[in-house]
Amino acid sequence: MSAVMNKPGKGSQNLKVNSAEMRVEGVSKSYGIAHLRENVVHNASFVIEKSKLTVMIGPSGCGKSTLIRLLAGFDKPDSGTVTIDGKPVKGPDRDRLVVFQESALFPWMNTYDNIMYGPRARGEVDDETKALAEFLLDKVGLTQFRNKFPSQLSGGMQRRAELARAMINFPRVMILDEPFRGLDAMTKELMWEYYAGLYEESRRTNFFVTTDIDEAIFLADRLLIMTNIPTQVRAVLEVDLPRPRNLKELLESDRANEIKMEALGILHEEAMKSFSSGSAAASDFIEAYSKRVKKKG
Amino acid sequence: MTTDNSKTGVGQGLDQAAKAALLRETMPFKTVPDATLRRIADLAKEETLPAGTRLYNEGDRADDLFVIASGKIEHALGPEAEASKLVKMVKRGDVIGWAALLSTKQRRLATTVAEADTQILRINAQKLRDLFQNDQQTGDMVMSRFATMIKEDYTLPDWLAKTRSIGEGTVARSEAEVPVSESRLALLGYRLGLWVKSPKPYLMITGFTAVLLFWHFSVDVFEWPRFRNMPGLVEVITEWLSRDPIYGLSVWTPEYYTHIIVSIRRVFIAFLLATALGVTLGLFMGWSKGVREFVFPVFETLRPVPILAWVPLAIIIFFHPESTVIFLTFLASFYATALNTMLGVDSIDESYSRAASCLGANKWQVFRHVIVPGALPFIFTGLQISVGVAWFSLVAAEMVSGEFGLGFVINTSYTMVKYPTIVIGMITLGAVGYTTSAMVRMLGDHLMQWRVRELAMGGR
Ligand SMILES: Nc1ncnc2c1ncn2[C@@H]1O[C@H](COP(=O)(O)OP(=O)(O)OP(=O)(O)O)[C@@H](O)[C@H]1O
Ligand SMILES: [Mg+2]
Repeated sequence: MSAVMNKPGKGSQNLKVNSAEMRVEGVSKSYGIAHLRENVVHNASFVIEKSKLTVMIGPSGCGKSTLIRLLAGFDKPDSGTVTIDGKPVKGPDRDRLVVFQESALFPWMNTYDNIMYGPRARGEVDDETKALAEFLLDKVGLTQFRNKFPSQLSGGMQRRAELARAMINFPRVMILDEPFRGLDAMTKELMWEYYAGLYEESRRTNFFVTTDIDEAIFLADRLLIMTNIPTQVRAVLEVDLPRPRNLKELLESDRANEIKMEALGILHEEAMKSFSSGSAAASDFIEAYSKRVKKKG
Repeated sequence: MTTDNSKTGVGQGLDQAAKAALLRETMPFKTVPDATLRRIADLAKEETLPAGTRLYNEGDRADDLFVIASGKIEHALGPEAEASKLVKMVKRGDVIGWAALLSTKQRRLATTVAEADTQILRINAQKLRDLFQNDQQTGDMVMSRFATMIKEDYTLPDWLAKTRSIGEGTVARSEAEVPVSESRLALLGYRLGLWVKSPKPYLMITGFTAVLLFWHFSVDVFEWPRFRNMPGLVEVITEWLSRDPIYGLSVWTPEYYTHIIVSIRRVFIAFLLATALGVTLGLFMGWSKGVREFVFPVFETLRPVPILAWVPLAIIIFFHPESTVIFLTFLASFYATALNTMLGVDSIDESYSRAASCLGANKWQVFRHVIVPGALPFIFTGLQISVGVAWFSLVAAEMVSGEFGLGFVINTSYTMVKYPTIVIGMITLGAVGYTTSAMVRMLGDHLMQWRVRELAMGGR
């Protein structure tokens, strides 16, 4: 354990991998049949740039998780193409790892077995993988909890264990669907720092979905703002803030606030549209707004 | 000040200050700066609605929003609005008709009828939006307050939302290790302690005592007509513990144990077979749509057929009494296990299989690493039912065929008028059956330690 830590080169070197670029071109997806048919994604096109952290933000229920299922290959688009480094996505594959909106740690495995699941399933366990597991356990602060089952971990620990479980597989693209939703504010901010740290160390392609504007700005290199359902990209903002970022500096940074206001302006319009489409959307709108007012006040 | 709307009457002329004061009382406009509030007041047109006037209907075009100045209006949302309360009464200071503020799809979501003579302010939403266009800061604030107001109608009741967030918060915040004793023995001791301290054991003892007393009094003391011919408690206990039993069966006679062992053996074999086949079939039925469509209809057709209806066929097929009994014992257990296992597979959250396949597991690995452990809790529920059912069917089967076993004892004792022996057989059956299902439960707890801990943390 400590041997790995003393050789920082080894562990963190391990995290560096060949990242890939993903492209979504003219993708549409509907669910349901006949008059119940609902167009969820409509002619969406965007690029998840190589070695960048792309954040997608959009109103709740607009179709973000649907897009993630298409990126991951769990579902096929009705039309359009999803490609990774130019090759069409055919199904789930370890080169695109998804961290799910709801915790998907296996409840019947302890933390260590969960993290090691990928390598074990593929029969790729060697000393290097084991060392990497230790490195990651340490990195996400779960060394003491390696033998605990998920039900014995707090929400924040579960999310970190999931990050580690994904990282160990050298995915070429990491896809995260609102991974920190439902955590309390303090834990959430801690998680942003953990996650941003992991990203900065590996610089692999990351695609991160959220409904939280502060989370989006803190993490993103590029910010995709989505329209309401049926969703497509409404705007792309470059978040050209220096890394590593610090939450306090970000709050005071004019550039960060400028980006935030621009994003909120666009989101506002989308949220207004979503108002009529039901309770979930309305509450999301409220969330965004109360936050905005709080920060200003 | 009058309006051109023919439906409504003429107001009594609230001035700008009075309108502003009313707006100040409302949730959305409470915190608007004075200057802006006066400008909103200028947009507000006063109207009077006689009792019974319909202000708007669900689905109407929405152009204006309304502030109630006096009187009351019934506000009824359509059933599909997912609101916590569909019908409410609005009065002075309430704001209705916010759908007009949406930039698209401005349709009324509710139907509103004046319940009494009502005075309202009508505010044109487009004009309000234009006004906010020039003062975005205030606009955002008002919109956010609107949102909060709407949220109260659309989401969980407040007290419930609060309890939920407290629950989630504590879990998320406790980064420290949850103190759960590692040692199973300690856990067992802890639970035993809890059990002894809880009212459970005393209620259990009371329950047994009540039944025994009822038995004793109804048969031996009061000699109630229908109970008089039953063997009494004292008689049965004496016979059961007698070294020289009148009817030939007691804890001192070897036959007693032969019967028990024969029955246990049959149940054991039948239960093992039922588990092996039932779990396998259930897993595949749950896992593969093809297998399910193929097997399930047949399965569901055969399942309601009672064991006793199978007896003749079973005898014809197996001929040998031992196999017949085992087959009959097996059947009902098999159904229970297979069905529960299938439900167990259905209960597994799809995200686990997705996570596994994302991590590089192939189909077979998903089956072994996700489907099987994920279904385990249901499987063990099924197995507990299945042992119970096995004893159940065993007795039926032994009554029909076979030369030994507890069911056989009960049946032959009846024909040979050995009434106390019947009861001895029944009590023994109950005790042995209870023990076997407890054993299954313990095995389950052992195999699913991740759940034992989960439950222990839940304070059970
Ligand atoms: N398998 C499905 N069958 C039918 N409808 C679906 C399916 N998946 C998603 N939808 C519909 O698509 C819409 C978008 O869902 P999705 O989960 O993609 O939204 P989201 O943006 O991820 O929302 P949230 O932020 O709340 O997670 C919803 O209206 C949902 O009802
Ligand atoms: Mg989602």
